[in-house]
Order: sequence, then structure tokens, then C-alpha cells
Amino acid sequence: MTEVLLDVHALSVRFQLGRRGRRGVVRAVSAAGFELRAGAVLALVGESGCGKSVLAAALLGLLPANAEVRGRATMDGLELLGAQEKTLAERVRGRMIGLVPQSAASHLTPVRTARAQLVETVRALRQDVADAPAFADDLATRVGLDPATLRLYPHQLSGGTAQRVALSLALAGDPRVLLADEPTVGLDRPLVEHVVDTLADLSTQDKAVLMITHDLAAARRVATHVAVMYASRLVEFGPAGAVLADPWHPYTGALLDALPDGRFRPIPGDPPELTALPDGCAFCQRCPAMPGYPPCTGEATMRRFGDRFVAAHPPAAIPEYGPLC
Amino acid sequence: MLSAEGIVVGYRKGVPVLDGVDLHITPGETVGLAGPSGCGKSTLAKVLCLLLRPWKGRLRMDGEVITGFRHDAPAALRTRVGVVFQQPRLAVDPRLTLREIVAEPLLANGFPASGVIGLANRVGLTGELLERRPHEVSDGQLQRACLARALALRPRYLVCDEMTAMVDASSTAGLVRVVREQASDLETGVLAISHDDALLDVWADRVERLG
Amino acid sequence: MADLVGAWHSAARSRAGTPRGRHIGGRARLRGLLGVGGLLVLIAAAVLLPSLGELDQSKVNYGTRLLAPSTAHPFGTDANGADLLLRSFAGLRVSLLVAALCAAISTVLGSLFGAISGALGGWPDRLLMRLVDTVNAVPHLLLGIVIVALFRGNLWAVVASIALTHWTTVARIVRAEVLSLRERPFIDAAISGGSSRARILRRHLLPAIVGQAAISAVLLLPHAVWHETALSFLGLGLPPHLASIGNILTEARRAVLLGSWWVVVFPSVLLVLTTLATSGLAAGWRDRLVPRRRSELAL
Repeated sequence: MTEVLLDVHALSVRFQLGRRGRRGVVRAVSAAGFELRAGAVLALVGESGCGKSVLAAALLGLLPANAEVRGRATMDGLELLGAQEKTLAERVRGRMIGLVPQSAASHLTPVRTARAQLVETVRALRQDVADAPAFADDLATRVGLDPATLRLYPHQLSGGTAQRVALSLALAGDPRVLLADEPTVGLDRPLVEHVVDTLADLSTQDKAVLMITHDLAAARRVATHVAVMYASRLVEFGPAGAVLADPWHPYTGALLDALPDGRFRPIPGDPPELTALPDGCAFCQRCPAMPGYPPCTGEATMRRFGDRFVAAHPPAAIPEYGPLC
Repeated sequence: MLSAEGIVVGYRKGVPVLDGVDLHITPGETVGLAGPSGCGKSTLAKVLCLLLRPWKGRLRMDGEVITGFRHDAPAALRTRVGVVFQQPRLAVDPRLTLREIVAEPLLANGFPASGVIGLANRVGLTGELLERRPHEVSDGQLQRACLARALALRPRYLVCDEMTAMVDASSTAGLVRVVREQASDLETGVLAISHDDALLDVWADRVERLG
Repeated sequence: MADLVGAWHSAARSRAGTPRGRHIGGRARLRGLLGVGGLLVLIAAAVLLPSLGELDQSKVNYGTRLLAPSTAHPFGTDANGADLLLRSFAGLRVSLLVAALCAAISTVLGSLFGAISGALGGWPDRLLMRLVDTVNAVPHLLLGIVIVALFRGNLWAVVASIALTHWTTVARIVRAEVLSLRERPFIDAAISGGSSRARILRRHLLPAIVGQAAISAVLLLPHAVWHETALSFLGLGLPPHLASIGNILTEARRAVLLGSWWVVVFPSVLLVLTTLATSGLAAGWRDRLVPRRRSELAL
């Protein structure tokens, strides 16, 4: 088996609203656990507002000040959640984990050219590179960008080009994990495919990609593994082919049913509020509309069956390996 | 019928975004409009909702040639075309509650605001959600409010400008289901603009391509 | 195995270039609270103190002339023998009243002007904005002096001279805000929904600028206090029986040369404290308003 790059264990994030949570507590991520192995493209999917982006922000120490975390996230022997800001800035961000942000154009400085920002990033992250401008051109070429377009300012870039500039920025520090937060939102279908294909190409032998998206079609195209998140919890995790072809959790099934090339059926009702989550299975209110699944055990945590994990809906025919964690 | 004939329009002088575009929508029909981003789909949408005056070309609505745009068009003509924009966050006044947002066109045209409940039920917004403000709901829920607002005055035509681009698959399916019901129940002519061919394949009766 | 690992710990970190996250909001709140508290104390003192003691500004008492600060007269007495503590706060009351009137008039005038100019756009906007430029081109103090010289010793002349020269700033701010709002899709949606120009102005544009306008008004307050002080100091301000801080400082000029420092120091300190409290309030308010306008927590 390949090397585990990022090991996330029982990661929870909550936000206190008002002083000391007087106006409620938002449980954005509850006891999420997964591992990211070299060569994998892990797609973290779920409806908007389920806590996907918060999970990503927690890994990079980019949560707002009213957030609280617990659990573990280790990479290269380094505990990310408890790390000092100095460690995160000097060792993690850009060097161990590269971030490809949502709506890339707004993450670029409007008054400087793409090249100026890329060269600056290279200089900051790679003291070993002597010729930063040449290295920048090289990075651009790797993500399928004509180096000539780098002389443009961010507002002159189209959405897809800006996304690729952001991708090259994320690659500058040669990180082993690329974290892409909704990299395809607002892009055309051909551009979406181009961006996710480029991302997938970057997960080589010793690298991995964690792609956060609500675009199941994009996930299906490139992901090797899929993690499905619902109302702050992971409900299903496993190899992409198996999970998407034969979902065990009714929520995964419902997401697939909602696709235009599926049955194009909306999931009835709304997800629960993250301030008032039930203790057990949170999908039960919407579950009865999804026939054909084994009955819900009401258990919130995922259990392991072979190489797949699922919460609350254990498959009848497959022996359980024991709980996750 | 809503028809655009030879529309030429742009934002900067001498740089037309659309150069002689024709499009026809008949009531009850759903026309898909596809094309890469930046090809002028949204610009055409603005012309069709009487929000942007074309430089050249003619816009005809039910046989009548449109001469005024924006506030120069009579309210009765403007409200005959409903519109849903791509980004629900920008398309609503952040200070109003969802109830007030949906009620706005009713009140502006002298109708009682009591119609809001029916509209909200139609798009699947339940009681308590209506009292919230935009920053307290998800993009999908907000877009449903925008759709309810666009349907408030029972428009004969509905322009959905990338209505589903910012929302997830389940919300997309829900929004499209409501628009389809509207098209078949009230004979509404729909222009479905999207860059997602898979979506237009299942949604539109015919698909036009731009750019 | 345990369901959860470890205890909750805060994710707040100091980021390069910004103060520790939690403190950004805290500092704004502290500054705002200090401003509000300070201003409330000053206003309460200005309203209550002069009526508690016996103060007749038309009387001269040579027996108590220019006494140094003591327990009987904490601020000392002035050249006419009046208690400076009472007189300073009476002056502050007048100054604040004039300033509040000026700020209110400028803000209402400026907001309406800016909102209408921004909402109309096109040539009416250009015309109205050239008018603003014209008003701005005349030195404020000079215009003030002309108005006050025409209507000498009249409170309303002083108010008018300040209000009529300071509404332009508010007009500019409000117009810029309206122009940026006007381009937002929600205005398009309102037009498409059949809303008239007047309805859009009333329902969407004016409510959006209330916050900005209120902050401009508070920021104008200390400015107006100083402007009035300057006019009164030049002898063009309020009549002596309505003495403001400016009048008191004018009278103090001669006394200070005789070594009576307190006649200048105490009224001046009061003026400075008022200014700091008001701008603290305005800055705290603005800091609270701005993050709220950005979208809240992005989940």
C-alpha cells in the first residue's frame, strides 16, 4: 500500500456565536476521519453549507477567531491542528499543503501582473531556485498555461485562466498535498473538465489531491476516492468507482439522483441547521424518501466494511471490520 | 411570442458583445441557450428582460415592438418577463428578509403581499426560512427566493440566466422542477441559459448556441 | 475507541500584519464604548452642571477675579470672576448644541443631494456634482465669515455658516455609495419587478446609506465644534450671553498673558476630550459596521 500523506482523525470544528457561544454553537465539522494516500485524488462532496470548506480551512489553520477545533490531523509527523502559527507559515502552507482557492481571480492582487505574483511566491517558498522567473514560466507550462498570458493583470484573465494561475501558485512550493476548495465553481463545463483533469494529473506517485466540491460530475471524472459529507459529518468514504456506482448511504444515492444525467430528482426538504444537529443520523428526516436502502441504525459514526466506510446503513452481506478510528 | 431580431449591443462604444443575434421564445416552450462564458449569453438575457437597450435590432413582445428599456418601459411590459440571475447573493437587497424580497414585486405593483406564502410553498421555502435575511440562508435557498420573486407576477416569459451555476445538484434539480411546472401549468415561455450541456439536454425543448 | 480526541481548543492565531483575530472586534468595541461613555459623561455634565451652580455670565465679580484652581473653584475663575468649571460646561453645552444642529442639517442635506444625484445619473448628476465642486471651491471659513458678518450675533447664522459649507462631504460619500449600489443586480431585479425610480430610491437605496450617513454625521460633530470655536475665537461667533468654548478662549487670551494658565487649559482640554470621544464613537461604529457588511462566516 502507498504511503499515507495526510491522516485526519476525529477532527471537529465548532463556532461560538456571540460571546462564549451565547447566541448558539455552530457544529461545522463533527469527528471527521479519513486518510489521504500518495497518488490519490480524494473528492470531498456534499451540499453547500455542510462544512466542507471549514474542514479545509482547519487543516491550514485559516479558521476565523471564534472557531474551536479538536481531533488530530497529521502530516509528515507534524500535528497540524495544534501547530504554532510560525510553523504553519514557514513549513506547512504552500510547502506541505498548497491551497487552490475558490473564485481564484479574487485571490490575486488586482494591481500586479500574474507573473509578478508567481515570481514573488517562488522567491518566498523556494530558496533553492536560482532563476525564479524561469521557474515561474515552467510552473505555468505545467498547468497548461501559455507563459505569455502571465503578463496580464488579474482582471484581464478569464475564469479558467485565473484558476490555472492559482493552481500554479499553489504548486510553487512543491507541496505533497494540493487542497482545492471548490476549484470549478462558476466555470463552463469544458473548463471544469480541464481544471479537474489538470488537478488529477498532479497527483503523481508521491503527491495527492484533496478536492472539495459540490460538483459530483467533476468528482466522478477524476477522483480515485470519494468522501461524502452531510450536515458536518462524513457519511460515506471509499474508492470512487465503488461508492458512486453502488452507494450504501441513502444520502450518496440522493446526491447522484439529483444529477441531470441521473434521475434529476431534488432531495426533499432542507439539511438540518448546524446549530441544532441531532446526535445520531442527521439524514433521517429526509431518508424515507429514498427507498431501497437497509434500515438506518441511527449511528452517526462511520464503520468499516472492506475498503469502504459508511455510517448508519451497514450493508447486509459484507462483514464489518470494526469502527473507524 | 418574445423575439429578438438582429440584436447588436455591447458595453463599450464600438465593441459589440452581441453582433446580430436572433432568438424567439413562444409561450409554453423552454429554449436552452448554451455557449462558453463571455460569449454574451447574459447580455442577451438583459436585453430580453428590457434591462439593456440594444444598439441595433428589434425586440418584439406579443407583436408589440419594444421602444423603451429599464424605467422607460411601462411597468406592465417589464413585469411580463421574469428574471432569475446567476448570483443570488448579489440579486437581493441584503437588508430585507426573504418574505420581503418575494413580496417586493407584489407591493410595487399594488398587489397584496398575502400571495407570498403560496409562492414560497411553490419553491419549497417553509415558514421560518421566510423570516431570515440573505446571510442566514444558503445559496440554494436564496436562489429559490429569487425564483419565487420572478414568478410573483405570473410573467408570460421567464429568463433564467445561469440560475443553477452557483447552487448544488439537489438545489438545481429542485429549481428546474419548479420552472418546468410553471412552463407547463401557466404556458410560460422559458429561456434557460446555462453552460452545462447535460442540464440543458434534460431541461430544454430545443437548444440554441451562441458564440 | 474514543469518539472524540482531546479537548476543544481555540483556533485563533495571530496572522502576519494583523492583530490577533479576537482583538480586532474587541478593540473596536472598546474604542466605541470609551467614546460612547465619554460622550455621555460630557453631555450629562454639560446639561446638569451649569444649572446646579449659580452662573450669571452677564455679571462681573471683581472679588473673585482670576482665582487659581481650588476646592471651591476646581477649574479656577475667569477674568470676570465667574467659576470656570460652570462656565466651561455651559460653553460646551452651547458648542455641542450648535455642532449637533450643524451635523444634522449637513447630513440630511448632503444625503438627499447625494442620493438623488447618484440615483438619477447622467446629466442631472453631472450638474449637481459641479454645484458641489463650486461650494467646495470657496474656502469654508471665508464663506462662514461672510454669512456671520451679515447676520452678526445670531445663533442660526453660525449654524447656517457651518452647515451650508459642510454638507458637500456627505453628499460625495452618499453619491459614491449609491452609484455602487445602482450597478448591483438587485436593482435590475427591482426594475424587472416593476418598481418605479422613487420606490427603488426609497426602498433600496436610502436605507442602504443610513449607516454611512450616520457615521458622517458623527464625524462631522467634532469638526463643527472646532469650526464654531474658530468663528467665536475670531469674534464672529455667538453673542456673549450664549458663550461657547470659543468665546471663553477668546476672553482667556489676555488673562493667560498675566500668568493665569487655567483659563485656557481647562476649556481646551474639555474641547479635546469631546473631540476624542466623538471620533472614538464614530470609529468604533464604523469598524463594527464594516465587517458586518462583508458576508458573515463562509461555511
